[in-house]
Amino acid sequence: MSDVSTTEDTAPPAGNDGPPAVRLTGITKRFPGVVANDQITFTVQPGEIHALVGENGAGKSTLMKILYGMQRPDEGTIEVKGKEVTFRSPKDAIAKGVGMVHQHFMLAAQLTVLENVILGEDPSRGGAIDFRRAKEKIQQLAKTQGVPLDVNRPVETLSVGEKQRVEIIKVLYRGADLLILDEPTGVLVPQEVEELFETLRELTAQGVTIIFISHKLDEVLQIADTVTVIRRGRTVTSVPAAELTARQLAELMVGSELPTPETRPATDLGEAALSVDDLRLRDPDAGRDLLHDITFDIRGGEVLGIAGVEGNGQAELVEVLLGLRKMSGGRVLLGGEDVTDDSTRERREGGMGYIPEDRHSRGLLLPAPLWENAMLGHQGSRPFARGALVDRDGARQRTAEIIESYDVRTPGADVAAYALSGGNQQKLIVGRELTADPRVLIAAHPTRGVDVGAQAAIWEEIRRARGEGLAVLLLSADLDELIGLSDRLMVILRGRLVAELDPQELTPEELGSYMTGAHEEVSS
Amino acid sequence: MNLRSALIRLGASLGAILLALALSSIVLLIIDRSPLEAFAAMGSYASRVDSMISIINRAVPLYVSAVAVAVGFQMKLFNIGVEGQYRIAALVAAWVGGAVALPGILHVSLIILVAALVGAAWSSIAGILKAFRGVHEVISTIMLNFIGTGLGAWLLANHFREETEGGSLIIATARIPESGRLPSLNPVLEGLGVEVPSGSDLHSFVLFAILLGVGYYVLIWRTRLGYDLRAFGANPGAAEASGVNLKRMTLITMAISGAFAGLVVMGPVLGSFHRYTTDIPIELGFTGIAVALVGRNRPVQMALAALLFAFLNRSAQILDFRGIPKEIETIIGGVIILTVVIANELARRVIQAQEVRDAAAKTARDDEEGPA
Amino acid sequence: MRVPRWISLLAALSAASLILAACGGAEEAPDEPDDTGTEAPDDDADDTDDDADDTDDDAAADDGDPVRVGLVYDIGGRGDQSFNDAAAAGLDRAEEDFNIEATELEPAEGGENRGELLRLISGEGVDLVFGVGFAFEEAMESTAPDFPGVNYGFIDGFLPDLGPDSNVVALGFAEHEGSFLVGAAAALKSETGRVGFIGGVEIPLIERFEAGFVAGAREINPDIEIDINYISQPPDFSGFTDPASGREIALGMYGNGADVVYHAAGGSGLGLFEAAKEHSESSGSKVWAIGVDSDQYLTADEELQEFILTSMLKRVDVAVYETIAAQVEGDFEGGYRTFDLSTDGVGYSTSGGFVDDIVDQLEELKAAVIAGEIEVPDSN
Repeated sequence: MSDVSTTEDTAPPAGNDGPPAVRLTGITKRFPGVVANDQITFTVQPGEIHALVGENGAGKSTLMKILYGMQRPDEGTIEVKGKEVTFRSPKDAIAKGVGMVHQHFMLAAQLTVLENVILGEDPSRGGAIDFRRAKEKIQQLAKTQGVPLDVNRPVETLSVGEKQRVEIIKVLYRGADLLILDEPTGVLVPQEVEELFETLRELTAQGVTIIFISHKLDEVLQIADTVTVIRRGRTVTSVPAAELTARQLAELMVGSELPTPETRPATDLGEAALSVDDLRLRDPDAGRDLLHDITFDIRGGEVLGIAGVEGNGQAELVEVLLGLRKMSGGRVLLGGEDVTDDSTRERREGGMGYIPEDRHSRGLLLPAPLWENAMLGHQGSRPFARGALVDRDGARQRTAEIIESYDVRTPGADVAAYALSGGNQQKLIVGRELTADPRVLIAAHPTRGVDVGAQAAIWEEIRRARGEGLAVLLLSADLDELIGLSDRLMVILRGRLVAELDPQELTPEELGSYMTGAHEEVSS
Repeated sequence: MNLRSALIRLGASLGAILLALALSSIVLLIIDRSPLEAFAAMGSYASRVDSMISIINRAVPLYVSAVAVAVGFQMKLFNIGVEGQYRIAALVAAWVGGAVALPGILHVSLIILVAALVGAAWSSIAGILKAFRGVHEVISTIMLNFIGTGLGAWLLANHFREETEGGSLIIATARIPESGRLPSLNPVLEGLGVEVPSGSDLHSFVLFAILLGVGYYVLIWRTRLGYDLRAFGANPGAAEASGVNLKRMTLITMAISGAFAGLVVMGPVLGSFHRYTTDIPIELGFTGIAVALVGRNRPVQMALAALLFAFLNRSAQILDFRGIPKEIETIIGGVIILTVVIANELARRVIQAQEVRDAAAKTARDDEEGPA
Repeated sequence: MRVPRWISLLAALSAASLILAACGGAEEAPDEPDDTGTEAPDDDADDTDDDADDTDDDAAADDGDPVRVGLVYDIGGRGDQSFNDAAAAGLDRAEEDFNIEATELEPAEGGENRGELLRLISGEGVDLVFGVGFAFEEAMESTAPDFPGVNYGFIDGFLPDLGPDSNVVALGFAEHEGSFLVGAAAALKSETGRVGFIGGVEIPLIERFEAGFVAGAREINPDIEIDINYISQPPDFSGFTDPASGREIALGMYGNGADVVYHAAGGSGLGLFEAAKEHSESSGSKVWAIGVDSDQYLTADEELQEFILTSMLKRVDVAVYETIAAQVEGDFEGGYRTFDLSTDGVGYSTSGGFVDDIVDQLEELKAAVIAGEIEVPDSN
């Protein structure tokens, strides 16, 4: 990695004098148990497209929320056009010319383009909305983007790309000259990506500055003037895009040193606990495959790690395996039995354990007491149920055991789940899944957002369960976790398993290139 | 710990009721009436035996209605259609009851069963629309209220109506024979030494309502089905991942809610009207929502809330005699709903904050003592 | 204070009444023991000493001692400009002419507490109680026997087996006969050959108005077109208190070519009058409305008066007045009384003078009905 110069002092693109558009210095943001941003420092020059890359969870979103006034940093300073600013809300940010286009559009479907753009920012004249003036201004803005747009069309009739353009116009209309685009290409088809890039180049030609958040390296290299890489909440480097190859960029994202595998070689592997054969998932709306040709086996006593940049089909894979989404093709066997058409409940009762990536949305009943949380997913079996009834004593007793064995710090089993810290909540989830003695554990980011102590404890529990013959499918963005726990690693990219790797012999370069698709470029 | 929470909640509820009384007093003072006189009149009127019986008889339908609403609330389903469900259910049940003759227990059971089934069938229309077509239950149940009222009127006028004797203008189904009626509890009261004034009848359906409350408790808090239902209400995503089938749950919950709703006016129908007439009380479905809200969907609290609303309703009758507009009852009722709901929310936050503090303290203590 | 017998009564109730009792106790200490200490339900702290014992005999009232009259309205109560107001008018007139003391009550919106109100007022030491409306049937049936010392006037009511010794008099009206005459008036005045009828709630009582109106209109013009519409269906009784719907339906009828519309919809009739004005003004050709129960020309706003052709009079006021008079004079008699054309218990109004040109024809028809030459149907 040393062949890339670390350049705080990279020369700005030609033709730009005066203060930088934005300078972030020493930005630090802590959340309970995690440091999301740790002394982040970088500079954006006026009129450039500045890409901010890093894996999900690296801290990009938090950083942009800080820059857009949605959150306030614990430390550090923000300068806009040479002046230090404090944003209390997005309104403050917009007043200083900083606007954001979100990944998920915030448009009112039934209103027209015109109405959406002026929503909340009505140009009024004597109390009435001055539609004519607004219309002129918007048409002017649309024209400078080089794309015609009928301002009277209802937003619901627009294509995704057009909606995005409305979002951009909305921000420009409010007077922004610094645009933050959060993963703007994620929702677009290739044709639309090209059009977006056209628009962005037009805008920079007119002096607008753009911060472009992405983890798609080819796009970054194609559009950006400067690239800033963030890893684990820290700025790794800022480099002119022209000096980078995809491979180098991939390496910067993954890091130079890989953790050493810690899993002791498996002694005797059992039968295939989970077999997935040619699994396919089609998105009926977009008409494309979200997952294809997914085939793997996991045997008892084995951990299969799935590496990949987030958004490449991991979440979908988990949902399909759990039966939360209906697969479009292929087969899933659990302990040799075909569960392809089984319901979620049948799969869970058949021995499929699950640690969700977001414990609040998929894993816990926050207002319910711990003992009710401890039975979630196992409510049909002993000791939680007896016949059609809930066995409260059995459930409480089992919960006490989980609290004891998995070191869940809580005043008791009757405390509501929301009262616990993230790490303790997660330990409870891990405990309840492992105590139920599953055949297969699907662990999605099992230590996300927990403190170091809890992380170590959870890893240890997973290792122990593997030693006792559990098959684990581990999906993670944390390379320590993936390499430290997995017996085998597979890489998922754009819904496809593109490589199977041996964690013992893995190089960062190799992993990074598979994860980011740089490998394809190299091989082609 | 739990005692503390209970005390906080109790205090909040009492505070809310006192605040509601204070606010109502202000209204009374504004219209130049003495609040003390009004409340004293209501209090003394309500403590008459016939008033107490009336309050209980009024509270029973409110309670059943609240339970029906609460079943839906537990999984965040808003059954606004209790109104239509009980009307159509009571009509059909009364008609069936008047058309057959069976030995006592069977006859009454049949009527109650028919009412529950019709209520469930009617609410299931909304359940099916929600599960398979994604139609929001608030919309569909409100629409079904209108349809139910119209359908009920048509059925009553054209099919279920009993030609009444002589010059009577009442539209009603045939009378349910003696075997299909529930006895009055007056003999029991008299056995306890209570002198029951003539014209007062304590309907024995109150016992059935208590059973319904127990059934509700067991269903929601003691069965796996109830667990799934509450899990869904607390966090649909987590419930789904735990294996709860959302469609199935929606159908079942809506049907159960409707079955409870079908029984709302069984007290009056089996206890005093003995037929379905145009005098069967209306709007109980909507008041039931308020009762469920004030009673936080808990079986005992809802019973208290139902009694409170029934008390207001009955005791307000005396106000006209004292020259005080009885509409003050509506104001007190509305203010109580507001203050209790706000107080409940405040209590919840206080309790929640304390639990978080307790848990944090526990964690800190463990950390100091070193990991276990 | 007496120990409550119902200790088992649940906490909210006791808490609330305890608070209330405590509040009351502070200010009204002298009254309090009496109040809560009385046993019988027909006793009340409000009773004055002298009338505590005189409820047992309806003839007992002498000149110095007012006759106490209770009146429980139907849904809508006093001020509905229709049926209930007619009863109120009779009471008001009686108050002027006799030494009486009146208490008026109005049931809740759904009307389900009619029975309780009737019982409540009966226990308050009154001599004569009116239940205004047929819906008091069950209430009357269960209450009257429990208060043999109280007499009851039951407007529009029916109870089986009443005799002169009963304490209930059922006061019925031949609404179909009155409606027959206004139906004839409508047909005589109609230029389009199309008239309308708006019923409040589709119940047998209102169908009686409809039947008479239809018969009267057909009597004049056998080919006349008659639009018939009801605002609500039982058990929904909002049709008597819903002027907005009344207006909508009436506008529809006028728009459809009807030029005289009759309503039997209580308070909803106001909407009809507004619709008549609205349609007349917007279309330029005058249309008529016909009122019901009381002479609605007299109670309507001035600007609406010119559209009210006539009103079918149902002299509830007469029934109330005469029953009170009988009570005061000590010759109350139970049984059935029917107020029809022959006794002017029903009829039509001439206020405004709009029917002056056809009065002769109407009077002829009236005589024919009284003489039995025409038999007016009372149902469809």
